Amino acid sequence: MAPQTFTTRRGTRATAGAASWSRNHNTVRHTPKTLGSLSNAMIVGVLVLIVGLIYVAQGTQATNYDYELSEIEDEIAELTAKKEDLAVEKARLTSIAAAENSTVAAQMEDGQVAGYVAE
Amino acid sequence: MTRNKVLKFGVLTVMAVIVGRLFFIQILQHEMWTEKAAAQQTLTNTLPAERGEIYMMDGSEPTAVVLNATVYTVIVDPMLADQEAVAEVVGKAVGDKLVAEWDEVFANRNLRYYVVARGVERAAAEQIAEAELTGVWLQSDTERVYPEGTLASTVLGFVNAEGEGQYGVEGALDGRLAGTDGLLKTVKDVNNIALSIGDENVRIPAEDGENVVLTLDKNLQHRVEQILASESERLGFANLSAVVLDPNTGEVLAMADYPGYNPANYGQVTDISAYINHVVEDPYEPASVCKTFTFATGMEYGVMDANTTFNNEAVTYVDDWPIWNAERGAFLLGQQTIQTAFNYSLNTGSTQVLRWLGGSETEITAQGRERLYEYYHNRFGLGEYTGIELYEALGSVTEPNAEIYGINSTYANMTFGQNMQVTMIQVAAAFASVVNGGHYYTPTVVAGTMEDGEFVEAAAREPVRETVSEETSAKMREMLYNTRKAWRNTGLDAAGYYVGGKTGTAQVIRDGAYVLDETGATYIGFGGTDGEMPEYVIMVRVWEDGKVAGGQEHALPVFNALKTAVQDELKVRPAGM
Repeated sequence: MAPQTFTTRRGTRATAGAASWSRNHNTVRHTPKTLGSLSNAMIVGVLVLIVGLIYVAQGTQATNYDYELSEIEDEIAELTAKKEDLAVEKARLTSIAAAENSTVAAQMEDGQVAGYVAE
Repeated sequence: MTRNKVLKFGVLTVMAVIVGRLFFIQILQHEMWTEKAAAQQTLTNTLPAERGEIYMMDGSEPTAVVLNATVYTVIVDPMLADQEAVAEVVGKAVGDKLVAEWDEVFANRNLRYYVVARGVERAAAEQIAEAELTGVWLQSDTERVYPEGTLASTVLGFVNAEGEGQYGVEGALDGRLAGTDGLLKTVKDVNNIALSIGDENVRIPAEDGENVVLTLDKNLQHRVEQILASESERLGFANLSAVVLDPNTGEVLAMADYPGYNPANYGQVTDISAYINHVVEDPYEPASVCKTFTFATGMEYGVMDANTTFNNEAVTYVDDWPIWNAERGAFLLGQQTIQTAFNYSLNTGSTQVLRWLGGSETEITAQGRERLYEYYHNRFGLGEYTGIELYEALGSVTEPNAEIYGINSTYANMTFGQNMQVTMIQVAAAFASVVNGGHYYTPTVVAGTMEDGEFVEAAAREPVRETVSEETSAKMREMLYNTRKAWRNTGLDAAGYYVGGKTGTAQVIRDGAYVLDETGATYIGFGGTDGEMPEYVIMVRVWEDGKVAGGQEHALPVFNALKTAVQDELKVRPAGM
C-alpha cells in the first residue's frame, strides 16, 4: 500500500491558506514504525528465540544443579561410609578383646584383691 | 494422468500412511507408549533406611557394640578380565575374603559374572579400584559389625543375609532397628542422574532405625561370660546360663549363655541351639528355688513363718504318691522349722505349706491349689510372659482346677519347682519382687536410645504390681540370708555384705518321665550392703545332657564367683565403708 499523507488543520492553514479552512478536520498522521530496516515479524521472531534460549539455558542450568546435587549426594554417602568405618575402627580398638590383647595389657601385673577403707 | 497428478497422489498417499501410523501410535497405542517412555525416563530407587546401632552401658556411658559398615563384593567378568593381573591384585587386596578359586573363575570364560570376594573392607576395595582392572567391579553393601566378638551373642542375635534380624535384640526389636525405607522417583537422563524437572517427582526420605541402648553393662557382661567359661571348664558342664538384675528397676545388667557364638559368623554355627537365649527362651524346671515363692505365699496367707514347725519324715504322700526329700539325714527327722526346711530344701516342708494354704494339716485342697496359683501365676508371673523386649517362651503352670490326673501331686511338686516349666527371667523377676519389698518390675534390656549422639534414657521404671507385702519381703530376705549361711555355706560372704540365696536341683523329664541320671542345677540369690535394700539379683543355671548337676555343688560356686564380680562392677560397698 502506498503511504498516505494526512495533514493537520494547523498545517493546512499554514500551507494552504484560508481557502482550505474548515471546522473539525482534525487529522492524525500514521507512519509505519520500524527499527531501522528490521520488520516487526523479525523482531518478534528474535524475541521468541531469545526467550527460548533463556528457557533452554534455565533448563540446562537446572540439570547442572541436578548433576551437582548428585555429586554432593555421592560425596555425602562416601563421607558417611568413611565415618561409619572410623566408628567401627574406634569400636574395635576400644573393645574389651583389643584391650586385653594390647601390648600395654601384656605388661601389666595381675591385680590384687582390694578392700574398702572405713570412712 | 499427468506426472504432476501422480506426484500429488504419491505425496498424499505417503502422508496418509504417516498420519495413519501416527494415529495408531499416538492415539490407539497412547497408553502403552506412555508407559514405555515413563519406564525409560523415570528413575525409581529405594532409599534404604540405615539399621540402628546397638549400644551397651560402659559405666554410665553408652558404647556401641553393634554397628554398620560398608563392605564390598568383588565381581569378575572372566571374558574381559586378565587372570594373572586380577589374581595378583584382587587376591592380595582381599586376603581371606576370597570366596573363589582363580582357576575355577577363569575355567569358563563365557561367564560374565563371577563373585570372587565378599565382605571386603573399604581399604581393600580402594586398592582394587585404583588398579583399574578390566572386567573387575565392586558392589557396595552394608554389613553388621560386632566389634566385641562373642560378647552377649545370645542377647544381641544377628542379621541374616536378607537383612532381617534374627534371635536376640536384632530379631525381637527388628521393627525398631530396621527403620523404614524411603522412595525416590524422578525423571532421569541418559546418565541415570535424577533430574528435578517434571511434575511427578517423588522423594520420600528414609527413616533410619533407632539406635537402641541396652541396660547391659559391657564390662560386667564380659566378666560374667568369663566366669561362665572358666566354671564350665572347672565343673565339667557344657551349658551355663546366668542373669543379673537390678531388683529395684528390673533392668538386666548382664545376661549370658555359655557357649556363645560370634554373630558376625552366625553361618558357621553348627548347632542351632547356640542361638538360643536360655534365660528367656528355654523353659525348664527350676526346682527348689521355687520354695522361696511357696514360703512367701504361706506368709502372705498367714499360715506360716520361718519358725513354724512341721513333722518331717523324709517322705510325705500325696494321693499315695511319695514325695521324698533329697536330704534324709536322721538329724532332720521329727519336728522341724520352715527355716530348716528352707536350709535343707525339704520337699516335705513345702508340701506341708501347700496343705496349710488349703486349711488342712493332711490334705491338699482346691483352696490350697488356688492360693498357690494366685501367687505363682498371677502375682509372681510364673508361666506368663514377663514383657522383656526379647523373644520369650511362655512355659506353663497348671491351673488349680485343671482336670488332669494327679493335680494334687502336681501342685505338691510345684511347691519345690517341679511339674512346671518356667524361664529363668520369670523366676529372676519374681524373686526380685520378693526381696525388694514386693514390687514387681517388668524386666527390661532397653535403657533408652541414642539420638544425634545423645543418650535419651527410657522413662523411669515403675512397678507393674505388688507381689508380697514389705513385711513378707523382709522376712523372706532373712530366710534367704539364713539359708545361704546355713550348713556348708558359712564364710561365703565378706563382712558388711548381706547376701541371701537358694539352691535348686531338678530332675529332668525324658519321654514323659523323670530320669535319675540327669539333673539340672540352679542358684538364685540377692545381695547388697548389709542393712540396705538388695542391689542385685543373680540367677545361675548349670546343666548338660546325661549329667547330674547339683544346686549346691555346681550352681552355688558359679553364683559366688559372679557375686564377687557384680559387687566389684557395681561398686557395692560393705556396710560402714
